Amino acid sequence: MTLVSDTQAAVVHPKPQSARFTVSVPAVVLWTVILFLCLTPFLLVLAISFGQKIEGASWEWAFTFANYERVFVGANWPEEFTALYLQRLYYSLFYAVIAALLAILTAFPFTYLMTRLSRRAQSAWLVFILSSLSLSEVFIVMGWDVLLSNRSGLPMVFKETGLTDWLKANGYFETMREWGLANPRNVKFKTSVFATVLTMAYLVWPYAVILLYPPLSRLDRSMIEASQTMGAGPWTVMRTVILPTMRLPLLGATLLLFVFLLGVYVAVTVFAEPAKQTMAVSVYEAVRGNTLNAPFGSAQAVVLLCTAAIFLVAGQWISRKSAP
Amino acid sequence: MQALELSGIYKNFGSVRAVESSNLTFAAGELTALLGPSGCGKTTLLRMIAGLEEPSGGSILLGGRDITGLAAHQRKFGMVFQNFALFPHLSVRENVVYALVISGVSKTEAMETGNRLLDLVQLSGYGDRRIGELSGGQRQRVAIARALAQEPEVFLLDEPMSALDAKLREDMQVELRLLQQRLGITTVVVTHDQREAMTMADKIVVMSQGRVEQVGPPHQIYHRPENAFVADFIGKANFFDGVIEKGGIRVGSVLLQAQAAANFLNGSPVRVACRPETPCFFQRDAAGTSLKSKVTFVRDVGAVRDIHLETEIGRMIVEYARGETDHDFRIGQELSIVLPADGLHVFPRAEQAVA
Repeated sequence: MTLVSDTQAAVVHPKPQSARFTVSVPAVVLWTVILFLCLTPFLLVLAISFGQKIEGASWEWAFTFANYERVFVGANWPEEFTALYLQRLYYSLFYAVIAALLAILTAFPFTYLMTRLSRRAQSAWLVFILSSLSLSEVFIVMGWDVLLSNRSGLPMVFKETGLTDWLKANGYFETMREWGLANPRNVKFKTSVFATVLTMAYLVWPYAVILLYPPLSRLDRSMIEASQTMGAGPWTVMRTVILPTMRLPLLGATLLLFVFLLGVYVAVTVFAEPAKQTMAVSVYEAVRGNTLNAPFGSAQAVVLLCTAAIFLVAGQWISRKSAP
Repeated sequence: MQALELSGIYKNFGSVRAVESSNLTFAAGELTALLGPSGCGKTTLLRMIAGLEEPSGGSILLGGRDITGLAAHQRKFGMVFQNFALFPHLSVRENVVYALVISGVSKTEAMETGNRLLDLVQLSGYGDRRIGELSGGQRQRVAIARALAQEPEVFLLDEPMSALDAKLREDMQVELRLLQQRLGITTVVVTHDQREAMTMADKIVVMSQGRVEQVGPPHQIYHRPENAFVADFIGKANFFDGVIEKGGIRVGSVLLQAQAAANFLNGSPVRVACRPETPCFFQRDAAGTSLKSKVTFVRDVGAVRDIHLETEIGRMIVEYARGETDHDFRIGQELSIVLPADGLHVFPRAEQAVA
């Protein structure tokens, strides 16, 4: 082949590699900004978590595992083992799991019934639910605080309507006391696990509907009809067709809500007992509270983040394993 | 097996009448095809039979017993859906035995039945596969086996071949027909493909705009259509508008001889249908009307050729089958064709009689 024909070939068929490595300046800037915004806060928290608190002052950069040690075994280990922060982590997980499940369990039938409505009715419901997302956590918690407060909320309604007396007369009051939902005089919801979980579930309920709506509206109706023609009643259809078909979206939605709920702060501070506060509250107290111990707060934040990551990875593994 | 009877059944969707009042009987062990264009109400009728759609009026009887008020899960008619509606979370065998498992049949018995049904639809060895691993034809077989597992009294199929390619569809039509004959199960198939209906059905119900246009065996529907819609929808036909005159049909300057014209009064406006295979080329002694024609186009489709002609009464397409004498047709060639008197179908035309 001559030089001319080689050149022509190069002109006619430009090498794709040259195009592959072409990078535009705006793309580089965009990616840099995105990476900076995503990674910097996390990397800073990670770095600070190895820092060291200066008693009576702020903190300094260091490389010590003391903060992590304090989270897992307590500050006085090995002399003494303290599980205070592990307990906080446990309550973080406990509230988040229960509230996420509660939100999904109540949102699922609602969303399923919603997808059976006319298009117009579905749109109206979606707009209503989306608009409820504009309410902040503080606003929602304030509403529930009033609703569940002992003097002006539901306990007062219980007392005034005679429901408290009825509960006492029928022996249910003692059970409620055992569950921490009553004092000797009347029912009480503040502070309680019940109120904390209920408010947290309420907080994420619109998200649950929005996460479940797309897969439920795409659900093949003919599968439901097929099972009906094979003798399946409504509950059997739900149990054997709808729930198994929806298990991956259900798992995904539960995980997302769970991760979101791990970080809930206001609802926990208002409704949870001091001994049953979560790690998110503890992080804030360490960083901004009286102690001003940013390294220890950061270590707790990293532990919380890693916990969320473990659950997400596990969820991903389960989805992959059970994918049809 | 028991016969299924629809008595005065109809369906309204709001102010729209989807299915006009219909009386139909599906004989025990027979395969009936509900045939019609899209939106004619055939699927709605099938869904009413299955119990998936509530009729606005009328009743459904199975072996003389009124089942109109029974829900789909109480009727337990096996049904194959257009998209097969297989459960992706279950294996092939689990899909097939679904009806047995939910009805409480023991696992061993269900598995035995499942294997037998998979044998029946020639899918033995596929039991443990996922639905996503099957081809379209295999999925259809699984859907059929699944619908048959509960040994239904009536077997319903909603356009079961529409998701298959042309070759597979033809094979499956024959297979499904043979299977239905073996089992002797009362079967109703919805289709818009007249070839599919002709291949499989003992009886065809032709529907249009929610109405039943004609009911009969395939050969009767094809050879003795009761109206112009059936003649047009089933097979191909050439249509001419004319008026009855002296026992024949006046179309333009030509008086066509037609046996069916005797059923009409002089001056009645009629529509004449002539199947493309009916006219004869090169047979001067054939009884009928001889027409001069000119070839305008020749379409060779293999075994037959469609000859497009310009005739004295209008344009026609005539099918010419290659036989012992293979004639050569050229565009512009002038020919004489004969329309046999017994090969013309005559229908009343909705128009005032010409004076």
